[in-house]
Amino acid sequence: MTTAVVDGQAAEHDDHGPTKGIKRWLFSTNHKDIGTMYLIFSLLMFFTGGAMAMVIRSELAVPGLQFVHPEFFNSMTTMHALIMVFGAVMPAFVGLANWMIPLMIGAPDMALPRMNNWSFWILPVAFGILLSTLLMPGGAPAGGWTMYPPLILQTGDAFPFLIFSVHLMGISSIMGSINVIVTIINMRAPDMSLLKMPMFVWTWLITAYLLIAVMPVLAGAVTMLLTDQFFGTSFFLAAGGGDPVMFQHIFWFFGHPEVYIMILPAFGVVSEIIPTFSRKKLFGHDSMVYAASCIAFLSFIVWAHHMFTVGMPLTGQLFFMFATMLIAVPTGVKIFNWVATMWRGAMTFETPMLFSLAFVFLFTIGGFSGLMLAIQPADVQYHDTYFVVAHFHYVLVPGSVFAIMAGAYYWLPKWTGHMYNEKLGKLHFWTSTIFVNVTFFPQHFLGLAGMPRRIPDYSVQFADFNLISSIGAIGFGLSQLLFVLILVTAKRGEKATDRVWEGSHGLEWTVPSPAPWHTFTTPPKNRIADEAFD
Amino acid sequence: MDEQTRKKNIRRTALIVTAVALAFYIGFIMMGVMRS
Repeated sequence: MTTAVVDGQAAEHDDHGPTKGIKRWLFSTNHKDIGTMYLIFSLLMFFTGGAMAMVIRSELAVPGLQFVHPEFFNSMTTMHALIMVFGAVMPAFVGLANWMIPLMIGAPDMALPRMNNWSFWILPVAFGILLSTLLMPGGAPAGGWTMYPPLILQTGDAFPFLIFSVHLMGISSIMGSINVIVTIINMRAPDMSLLKMPMFVWTWLITAYLLIAVMPVLAGAVTMLLTDQFFGTSFFLAAGGGDPVMFQHIFWFFGHPEVYIMILPAFGVVSEIIPTFSRKKLFGHDSMVYAASCIAFLSFIVWAHHMFTVGMPLTGQLFFMFATMLIAVPTGVKIFNWVATMWRGAMTFETPMLFSLAFVFLFTIGGFSGLMLAIQPADVQYHDTYFVVAHFHYVLVPGSVFAIMAGAYYWLPKWTGHMYNEKLGKLHFWTSTIFVNVTFFPQHFLGLAGMPRRIPDYSVQFADFNLISSIGAIGFGLSQLLFVLILVTAKRGEKATDRVWEGSHGLEWTVPSPAPWHTFTTPPKNRIADEAFD
Repeated sequence: MDEQTRKKNIRRTALIVTAVALAFYIGFIMMGVMRS
């Protein structure tokens, strides 16, 4: 019954399809087109940042200097991080949000479609500028993605371009989050109360608030860097009475919530997929919402755990240590709720579910190493070692990136109208999962043995684990080509049904596959939002 | 909710959120000004 209502709406607008050619993409205000552009852009950036990771791991495969100058190596680590964080992971989640949030809440589009177009098109400009620094005198920025002064002020001609591109990324993210908040608050289907919203929508709402609060903080920090460099101020220059440690405080006030900006939407994706393939409703929906909100709140009061070694009062150390450990509680609620959702479910293991299961297991490993790093006395030992590199890569690769992959496989049939190649999908999953562990697990041992991060050469005692890690990285990189193959051949598969997955619930599955250019031009009247909770 | 009210609400929410973002930007720079 509900499907008929929605089908009717789709048919109403057959006379108003997309414009043809490049104009469709340049001037698009359609959330599906913009979502597609975000996803393609993030994939391009994923391979660009991935190529830089290959340079890093090739150089580190054996001791000694092999392929690149140390200065270029430093540029690679800096650019890899900036591109992966701001160019790959964040735009991928914004792409998923653009595609799915209006479909999930029964809205015809995002609330501010022209601003949506701007948010996207600022991004290629920002990354064009950032990548162009590779060709500038003095090379690309090499002071680390954290941009700590005074080191970052030694950047050559690239410095103002770095600052400008970070500002542009910030503007794009802020505009995107304004759109998400306004859409969710004002454009939900009439009978969809806040607590009836799907988890992906909830986690994105919380993420958007985080972005609104912290992206301007990053912008403020880099604005101050700019004025220190070019306008004679001394915000962070000790010689002029400034305080370089203040930059670290401001940066991490942005930087720690940024971690949750990259993981909360991943929680949302996994919370959609696990119930579908367990054929049960999500265990503890409301507690998941409160847990995500708690995580978001706590993310604002833990920033200085990144700075335990700069020196701070004992009370400060204790506060930030215990506040950080507290995050394990709401995160644990989520992990246990996913496990409880699967408990006694009629589970099947299609590619999205496999990626989600790997997410739950491997993200938890990243969470545990995070708890180890939260212990201040231990952190003094682990700080700036490969243990930290292993920790955050476990959170971001089998965490965020696997969730993005899971989401892409899960919703791909809804986007293309065809089933992807399941055999290739599973091959992609297994190769990715094996190689991601081969890459990052040995880095825990390297860190515990004392290997510092951000160095192009190292002592021979670290040789074996580095070689294993580099082999894993190249394997992981090659595995991702399978994903491209699956995407390219996505339209050759069998026709997808509207519901696509047997256990799927929610408004997005009531529209045809592929989703028509216009959906929900009038809000769905039936209580179909309740379906997910029946 | 009629279209007019919805549009008004959309504009109001967007303005509030933009104001919050600007407040964080200016606020943190002012904090830097006061500490340096």
